Amino acid sequence: MSVGIGIHPELLIVDDNPADIVLAREALSGSKYSVQISSVEDGEEALAFLNHREQYLNTMRPGLVLLDLNLPKKDGKAVLAAMKTDPELRCIPVIVFSTSKLGRDIARSYELGANCYVSKPGNLIDFFSAIKLIEEFWFGLVIAPPRGE
Amino acid sequence: MSSAGTKLGALDAPKAKAKLRALLVEDNQLDAQLVLRALRQDFEVSALVVQDEAAFKLALHTHNPEIVLADYNLPNWKGMEALNVLKREGMDVPLILVSGALGDVTAVECIKRGATDYVLKDTLARLPESIRRALHERRERLLRRQAEEDLARKVDELARSNADLEQFAYVASHDLQEPLRMVTAYTQLLGERYRGKLDENADKFIGYASEGALRMQVLIQDLLAFSRVGRNGSGLAKVDCNAVIEEVRQTLTSSMQESGATLTHGDLPTLWGDRTQLTQLFQNLIGNAIKFRGKDAPVVSVQAEKSGQHWQFAVSDNGIGIAAEHMENIFVVFQRLHARTEYPGNGIGLAICKRIIERQGGKIWVESQPERGSTFKFTLPLGDSGEPAAQARDGEKHESSEPALGEKVGAPA
Amino acid sequence: MKDAQVDILLVDDSQEDVDLTLHALRAEHLANSIFVARDGEEALDFLFCRGPHGERSFELPPKIVLLDLKLPKLDGLQVLKEIKSDARTKTIPVVMMTSSKEERDRFLSYDLGVNSYLQKPVDFDEFRKVVKLLGMYWLMVNQPPVNHAADNLKNETPLAAKQGK
Repeated sequence: MSVGIGIHPELLIVDDNPADIVLAREALSGSKYSVQISSVEDGEEALAFLNHREQYLNTMRPGLVLLDLNLPKKDGKAVLAAMKTDPELRCIPVIVFSTSKLGRDIARSYELGANCYVSKPGNLIDFFSAIKLIEEFWFGLVIAPPRGE
Repeated sequence: MSSAGTKLGALDAPKAKAKLRALLVEDNQLDAQLVLRALRQDFEVSALVVQDEAAFKLALHTHNPEIVLADYNLPNWKGMEALNVLKREGMDVPLILVSGALGDVTAVECIKRGATDYVLKDTLARLPESIRRALHERRERLLRRQAEEDLARKVDELARSNADLEQFAYVASHDLQEPLRMVTAYTQLLGERYRGKLDENADKFIGYASEGALRMQVLIQDLLAFSRVGRNGSGLAKVDCNAVIEEVRQTLTSSMQESGATLTHGDLPTLWGDRTQLTQLFQNLIGNAIKFRGKDAPVVSVQAEKSGQHWQFAVSDNGIGIAAEHMENIFVVFQRLHARTEYPGNGIGLAICKRIIERQGGKIWVESQPERGSTFKFTLPLGDSGEPAAQARDGEKHESSEPALGEKVGAPA
Repeated sequence: MKDAQVDILLVDDSQEDVDLTLHALRAEHLANSIFVARDGEEALDFLFCRGPHGERSFELPPKIVLLDLKLPKLDGLQVLKEIKSDARTKTIPVVMMTSSKEERDRFLSYDLGVNSYLQKPVDFDEFRKVVKLLGMYWLMVNQPPVNHAADNLKNETPLAAKQGK
């Protein structure tokens, strides 16, 4: 993977369940791409983070966002819609990562511009496998959109 | 009429007379009096006499009669018209024609049209008995109607109670999944992180905990699938069973390759049914045929033939077979015949099959002998004439409010 | 069967690359059915159920479109644009797979809504690894937008087993 055109190794996890955030961090610990992980627990925080607002003035824009759907304050779909209609944010790949298997949640996520949809697996092995595959594919293989900033 | 003082007086005392509210349709005063006198022999009568429709209708509501006694021919009206008024007002009051000579043909006509009886004016002595009979029949009618209403109400309650239970099973299993996911993931994480780092029993204990959690996950998913048979599915449509078998073949590619299984089918019908459920049905049966194999590579065949008003399907295999004493049990939820280490699974596959089949109006049973393979047979109503032969209770419910069946992650190619 | 679900629509005019891709996918048992289109027009006919593909249904889109940029008749970017601007097809995941290193191509692709953008490796082994990872990610981990009821019954091979654990 040529340096410079891959997805920036900064991951933003948006999930209201701290246990899931910890699991994702565990899965990515010792990541060969040295992925830096930030996390927020509700939709409004997510948008504040992405727009460098409030305490997030100096954060880096993430190269990838892992987004849960059921969030307090602003739910995942609203965050997705906001991101994908904002010219500065819409090129950031978003993976919806949710326990929901509802057909309408999946379809709606794609309609709103999600790059993909991954079902949160119920056991550790599959959970870790999914996260590792996400890491391998997005940080190891995908060519990023050119960064404007 | 006195019986004061004497013991035997009770036998002599006149019987208390039943009360009777009667409505007479009669224009002749004398005839009316005669009728009333006949009635008063047996009843304590409260009566109104009318001669036309308007008065009749009014009297029906003000007097609320238990019996109508009508003359056949009146100057301004016909006695039989009273029947129509009664019908229109929705009142179930017996009508007895009290008339002069009528002729048998006319009499029978009147009874056919709804009169309860007719009594000739020169044999009025018959009248009380006729009235008693009419009132008795009416009482019987009311009782029967009441019983029917009670039954309908009970059936309704039962249906609602079933729906509630299904809803409960569904919601409970659905909501249990999330906290269980936490327990499973973290007991497993504990196991990995601290393997060999705590005391000697820790690994074992953690192992038991996470195995239990994993097993519970599968059980709950199975319960969910079972409870959803009633609500989920693709709705009724024409389903080509041959196409369904091919789809199942695709799904079971891995295990078929692994076991060297062959799957064949005869010319299967197209019928009305729920495609999702039929697919699950065949997948469970064929999957079982492959799973419960003996030493030889599984040979599975699916056939169908018409049997009276049904299609009879047969899924046969050359597997380990089933002993006679177990044949009832295998269709019960979570009943397993083997240790978990021998054959995997929770014992819900056949329970689901049974539920699917019974919902579509069929039956399922098995013919088998130990080590001689099994043939699972089931019936489904015909219905290839373009009309649904069986109505699934919830009709067109799609997965509009429920998650999709099963786990998606790990879906094979 | 005309009603069967196609897993991958592969759009590429290079026979060599198509062969490599098909070979890699089949070796890993990743895809049951793959349709190959040699140019942009054929790809669009397929996805929009028209012309020679008039019998296809919008209800059964491929799980993913693997799209090369340089195509005859209609190039990759135009195909992408058509797909992502029509409500009937815009939710189909599209993975651009190209030898182009042009920044402009990357920018335009993401701007048009491509789901991910990959570079075709020159090396044979690398190519195979890329296809394997791509297949595993998009066909096994990802949930495609159209949920076929039958899909949900598939719960055979756990993901970990597939990864060789």
